[in-house]
Amino acid sequence: MAEYKPPTLPSPFTNTTPPPTLLTQGAEAHVYKTASLDPAIPAALKIRPSKPYRHPILDRRLTRQRIIQEARCLFKLIKEGVSVPGVLALDWEGHGGAESGWGGAWLLMEWVEGAVVRVVLERWEAWMKQNEASLNPVQREREEASARALLKRMGATIGALHKAGVIHGDLTTSNLMLRGSPQDNTATTTTENGASMKGDIVLIDFGLASQSVQDEDRAVDLYVLERAIGSTHPRSEPFFDALVQGYRESHRGAPSTLKRLEDVRMRGRKRSMIG
Amino acid sequence: MASYLETIALPHLPPSLPVHVALYRDVQNSAFLKQQLLAGNAEFEYALIDASMVLSRAHATSAVFRAVNDYIHERLKSRNVHSEIVFSLSPTNNIADSFRKFGITDSTKDLLVVKVSESPEITHDSVATHLGSSIQGTPVPFDDETLSKISDVGKIKKLYKLGALPSPGQGNAAQGDDAKRRLELSLLGAIALRGS
Amino acid sequence: MIGIGMEGSANKIGVGIMLHPEDGSTPQVLANIRHTYVSPPGEGFLPKDTARHHRAWVVKLVKEALKEARVSVDQVDCICFTKGPGMGAPLQSVAVAARMLSLLWGKELVGVNHCVGHIEMGRLITGATNPVVLYVSGGNTQVIAYSSQRYRIFGETLDIAVGNCLDRFARTLHIPNDPAPGYNIEQLAKQGKQLVDLPYVVKGMDCSFSGILAAIDGLAASWGLGGEERAREDAQAQNAAAAAADQNQDQDSKPTRADLCFSLQETVFSMLVEITERAMAHVGSKQVLIVGGVGSNERLQEMMGIMARDRGGSVYATDERFCIDNGIMIAQAGMLAYGTGFRTPLKEATCTQRFRTDEVFVQWRD
Repeated sequence: MAEYKPPTLPSPFTNTTPPPTLLTQGAEAHVYKTASLDPAIPAALKIRPSKPYRHPILDRRLTRQRIIQEARCLFKLIKEGVSVPGVLALDWEGHGGAESGWGGAWLLMEWVEGAVVRVVLERWEAWMKQNEASLNPVQREREEASARALLKRMGATIGALHKAGVIHGDLTTSNLMLRGSPQDNTATTTTENGASMKGDIVLIDFGLASQSVQDEDRAVDLYVLERAIGSTHPRSEPFFDALVQGYRESHRGAPSTLKRLEDVRMRGRKRSMIG
Repeated sequence: MASYLETIALPHLPPSLPVHVALYRDVQNSAFLKQQLLAGNAEFEYALIDASMVLSRAHATSAVFRAVNDYIHERLKSRNVHSEIVFSLSPTNNIADSFRKFGITDSTKDLLVVKVSESPEITHDSVATHLGSSIQGTPVPFDDETLSKISDVGKIKKLYKLGALPSPGQGNAAQGDDAKRRLELSLLGAIALRGS
Repeated sequence: MIGIGMEGSANKIGVGIMLHPEDGSTPQVLANIRHTYVSPPGEGFLPKDTARHHRAWVVKLVKEALKEARVSVDQVDCICFTKGPGMGAPLQSVAVAARMLSLLWGKELVGVNHCVGHIEMGRLITGATNPVVLYVSGGNTQVIAYSSQRYRIFGETLDIAVGNCLDRFARTLHIPNDPAPGYNIEQLAKQGKQLVDLPYVVKGMDCSFSGILAAIDGLAASWGLGGEERAREDAQAQNAAAAAADQNQDQDSKPTRADLCFSLQETVFSMLVEITERAMAHVGSKQVLIVGGVGSNERLQEMMGIMARDRGGSVYATDERFCIDNGIMIAQAGMLAYGTGFRTPLKEATCTQRFRTDEVFVQWRD
């Protein structure tokens, strides 16, 4: 088995001091934390390396298309006032020629300080499990109201996204952030946990995003998130109706999308194939 | 005259390519400076930018970064890295048009000057000396506070086709900050995406 | 334990005999016999004709398999057959034969999901323990990973199968169906140089091929590369070794038939590798197993290998004996189920065209 090698950085990030810190390494892209164009302000750097298994012409075409698509979606959303990281710089051309050069692409984005909603909900679910027995009905009600409020804000933000004509394509609780929320689990020691669920929702990772205003695409976006919440946060699943409520109030097209969501749920992924 | 010439090492760019930036108000000899550019006078190879078209430090820095990054990867669209900086401010691919809209004109009063140290001879001191003797104007700090007095937000929004965005300075302080951030990020996005 | 496996969900009828030694050592293939119904160039195989072919061959193949395995009927423990998915009429002819043998010999039946058969055979042959599985054939395109007693489908085609896309383009070009249209496309693609632009449709872990087929059929038509006439020229050109080189002399000009095959393969295989990689990242696996007829394509194996290597993992693939539909894969999966006590009573020993991989309860794995 080949020895694992961390990915190498493309120019100009070979100059960066201190070097960018690798955060995640997905199938498509590597994400780093680094400086923005102001050394005092951090930024997120997303690198889409070239895929050597593909024909070089096809590879460059896809890498380029996708980084541009992602940047265009973010650009559009910033203009529409939707809460997403802004585009700071972009390079889709690669360099050094098709044969020996670097055929990848990169996108430098605003850094979002906070925790992903997955962590926030996991923290809350763990806290609830631990403290459930000692909560009186009022306290319990208050905790659940905080969770509902969080999901409602998520719904409102997704509504704003759809209203702006963008489909995220990969909505999970890992791609929604709570700005300002602590990243570690220190908050669980407080007597009231709901407080840690306040803050603005920011949508991240537009690697699979596209532009569409179709109810079908919007409904599938929501359905993907519903399934993700169901599998990752079983205790929060009953609050999905709060998310739906937040979404419903977000824009005029929401009711017809939510109607379509019912169909998408019925359909599920149970499409039978002819063998 | 006090010099505000600032030498900036932009993150991610080679340390051998520092960027010198100076901002002037009440410039008296814009027509002369423009003439030197047109004549191709090598001593006057600067990015000479109409500062009223610059919203903020981040706005200018973003254009400089794009131009220098394109320069080190050998894909300039215009004559040199300095003309490329002016071109990089533009959201469109029309080079001549970008000079007309963002570059110095005969009547420019507020001027942003950028020089990239392409060779070791170009230093902070050499640039400061040359600018001191060439530019008839009042040096001011290159910061957001100063730029906020200079920039023509209405014109910037129009050129970047961002007319629908709220203007900074309207509503309360928080709304104003948010509007500024949104506008600035929109400019940065437009610069990054030009030609895509 | 000895089992017979009978497969006939598409144009191949296969009979295989497997031995699962009592001591738990590695299962052995005792016989693996197959006969393929080949339709003329430019035509696909029709269910009615394929079923007739299977009926005509099934008895002969069972006899031959028993002979080759040196196994008597008494030694056989169970008869495994493909319950689905697949084409109705061919599935039926094999199911009828399996029921007949069950009654005749007094053996128990095990209905097997064809896709699970591919996966289990691939795991057995390659030794991959818990891979992400890319199942690619004329009827199926799925990315599968195992999780709590099910082979779960992470991604799949939204319309036609990748093998169907290749087969149908072979028909457009009148490429022979012998030994397999995909095999002949692969050979022709080796002479291709120029990559023509085709749609590339991946949505998350799903993909679509019908638009690509329409586009490349359109290109073949507009360049006049389809049909019998050009196929004949192609066959003649193969005799003259230089012909292929000549065809490719002027790049970026008119594409050749080889260029189209090359471009089609490069495009659809890139899509398959991409969705597989996404699934691997999702479940955190470094192994990938390719099964199904298209899995014997060496270019696909090569591309998958490069991807897996870059992730610090490896690709497992099998050759045409095991990749292409066969009887032993049905025996293998059937016997694993049989070992856990699974039986298919005679009155339930029917077949079904639609049978999803994730419907099977995989009791034999942890």
